[in-house]
Amino acid sequence: MQRRDFDAIVIGSGMTGGWAAKELTEKGLDTLVLEAGPPIDPNVDFVEHEPVWNFRYRGLGDRRALDATQRVQRTCYACDEAASKFFVNDVENPYTHDEDKPFSWIRGRQVGGRSIMWARQSYRWSDLDFEANAREGIGVDWPIRYSDLQPWYDYVEEFVGVSGRAEGLPQLPDGKFLPAMPLSCPEAFLRDGMAQHFGRERVLTIGRTAVLTVDHKGRAACHYCGPCHRGCITRSYFSSVNATLPAAAATGHMTLRPNSVVASIVYDEKRDRASGVHVIDRETQEEAEFTGRIVFLCASALESARILLNSQTARFSSGLGNSSGELGKNLMDHTMGGGARASVHGFDDKDVYGRRPNGIYIPRFRNVTSSHPDFLRGYGFQGGAGRPGWTRGTSLPGFGADFKHALRTPGPWRATFYGFGECLPRSDNYVEIDHEKTDKWGIPALRINCTWGDNERAMLQDMAVTAAEMLEAGGAKEIDTFVEDNPPGLTIHEMGTARMGRDPTTSVLNAHNQMHDVKNVFVTDGAAMASSSCQNPSLTYMALTARACDYAVKRMKALEL
Amino acid sequence: MDRRDVMRALGAGLVLPMLRGFSPEQLNAAAAKIRDRLPSRLPGYKPILLGELQYQTVTVIAEHILPATDTPGATDAGVGPFIDMMLAEWYKTEDRDKFLEGLANLDDRSSNMFGATFLKLGEAKQVALLHGLDAEVTALQDADLETDSYFFHRMKWLTLFGYYTSEIGQTQELQAAIIPGHYDPCAPLKRDTPGEW
Repeated sequence: MQRRDFDAIVIGSGMTGGWAAKELTEKGLDTLVLEAGPPIDPNVDFVEHEPVWNFRYRGLGDRRALDATQRVQRTCYACDEAASKFFVNDVENPYTHDEDKPFSWIRGRQVGGRSIMWARQSYRWSDLDFEANAREGIGVDWPIRYSDLQPWYDYVEEFVGVSGRAEGLPQLPDGKFLPAMPLSCPEAFLRDGMAQHFGRERVLTIGRTAVLTVDHKGRAACHYCGPCHRGCITRSYFSSVNATLPAAAATGHMTLRPNSVVASIVYDEKRDRASGVHVIDRETQEEAEFTGRIVFLCASALESARILLNSQTARFSSGLGNSSGELGKNLMDHTMGGGARASVHGFDDKDVYGRRPNGIYIPRFRNVTSSHPDFLRGYGFQGGAGRPGWTRGTSLPGFGADFKHALRTPGPWRATFYGFGECLPRSDNYVEIDHEKTDKWGIPALRINCTWGDNERAMLQDMAVTAAEMLEAGGAKEIDTFVEDNPPGLTIHEMGTARMGRDPTTSVLNAHNQMHDVKNVFVTDGAAMASSSCQNPSLTYMALTARACDYAVKRMKALEL
Repeated sequence: MDRRDVMRALGAGLVLPMLRGFSPEQLNAAAAKIRDRLPSRLPGYKPILLGELQYQTVTVIAEHILPATDTPGATDAGVGPFIDMMLAEWYKTEDRDKFLEGLANLDDRSSNMFGATFLKLGEAKQVALLHGLDAEVTALQDADLETDSYFFHRMKWLTLFGYYTSEIGQTQELQAAIIPGHYDPCAPLKRDTPGEW
């Protein structure tokens, strides 16, 4: 007979679900991991080495099929012919928004979730971030500081394997790094030119990435093939499929149940706690209930909010654990796409060999030691320098033998600085249940209300200005600035909707990602964020998850849970 | 498709002895599988969407854009079948029609200028005509105007994309390594630098 009762239930098997599975099972808890999507077999599903000519549309994907079933997902750069199977079917997984409030909800439903296609950039947040809300009187104060999270950053980095370079910057704490990937020669040239002009105020460094530069804990160093978002059979980058789930499985305490769509969390009014979860089978639509002493909700920020909002009870008529009324509110995503491109001269006899799955990083410098008149918080730049190959031929005049042979030499070095900015938490950016719309499993869909505010718009303009300044100072030529108009969601750093805080009347979770209202439910994905920093958030989710698991198990052992 | 086509589709003589005893249906299925993966490898390719003359015109233009030199050109790399497949399966109807209209216009222009359709022209006149179209694309690009739907721009894009993503393009022309094995940030520029995908 199928087992129905567990010590712990983890909802989701992606970035944070994988960590919860690993931590809880290693601490001896019999843990059920529920994943809405199908299982993944790396030997079959990871096709990063399949030559491009073996794809019918040479990597472009089947446009007609994508238009029909992945209209939203296909706007993500990683949703290509090899990897579109890792993104949801938009017809089966609908959500709604006002026409003038576009939101791109990019989702992955399979074992491993979006940790398979993530961009792997891994940065710590600092007290510049954790103190910002309190300092400026925006949103609610984080109930934790960097010192609370620092040992957990150490802990997860040691397992993940993050390559990077220590820079000693207070706004971007250094981590436990594996050897850094090198900068290309024009990138090093720009770094040196910028350093002469800006000193340590604006620093160009190599990206900090969850890709191994040396063998690490049974996983092989990167072989620089390039298309990481298609998977990695050598497990060289961190994903839950590559690292945390195998560790959890090795304990013998994990029951992984794919194809399990969680409709709601079941709340026991008498005992005032969650008793388990209500699940619908993805393939058969069969319903089932599982019980557990604790529940870790790790379904991704918006999906976790949706599950809680759909878990209505007599006591929690507007969603589980929503006595504060903050559930679903304060949605954030990083604002991206201000920056500049330029040429770098003087390295015509050089090129890179191999495809480095990483770029450069310029940590935040706005509102760090000075104060900007137009906006709060700040932004960082990602990007890099490279030489274009044959693709530039479509915008060059001519054709024929000379044209073909000229394309054998790569084009001039081009550098790009592309900004990612912090988004302020606002209560008018929120999600709610759309009672008119259900998904393929009959579960009510989300209605998303989200727009950029003045602060984000001002920041985007400033990115273009400072990117150009830095490229010029670095010695680049022919500089072009740009300011893109990307919808929220597309950065795929959605956060908020169940924020942490000190006060149960203004926040959903406490300092340990535990629900103020329902003590045996923990939410450790992006939903928990009280502000968004400008650094990529996954590493912080991982550290918060490991920390929350430690807390939960200690409370269970003390019989407080 | 008859048995001989199937044999040709399956290619190398080495394979043939292993095929005895298979039914024509099995062989057809095997050939269809190969054709799906590598449409360009079928020498007797029958276009799906393009008419025979249109297909020949497209193939001739592609070869002018990326001719055989010390490496194979567009024809050998199967660019003709690739373009036919993209028009049949990938493009939106309006884009496909625009492309076919461009092909027809090419023949009109050819007839007006030289008194014969494109395929009947000598190589020099074909090239001259295409240079005229290329100059128009360049002028539009210089003026920052949209050229994506312009016939010769799309033709050139399809030719370059189809060629450089083909097996011949990747292995012989770009000599791209699928697994470089290491990363050198400052390598001397040389011919076998891995190409882009």
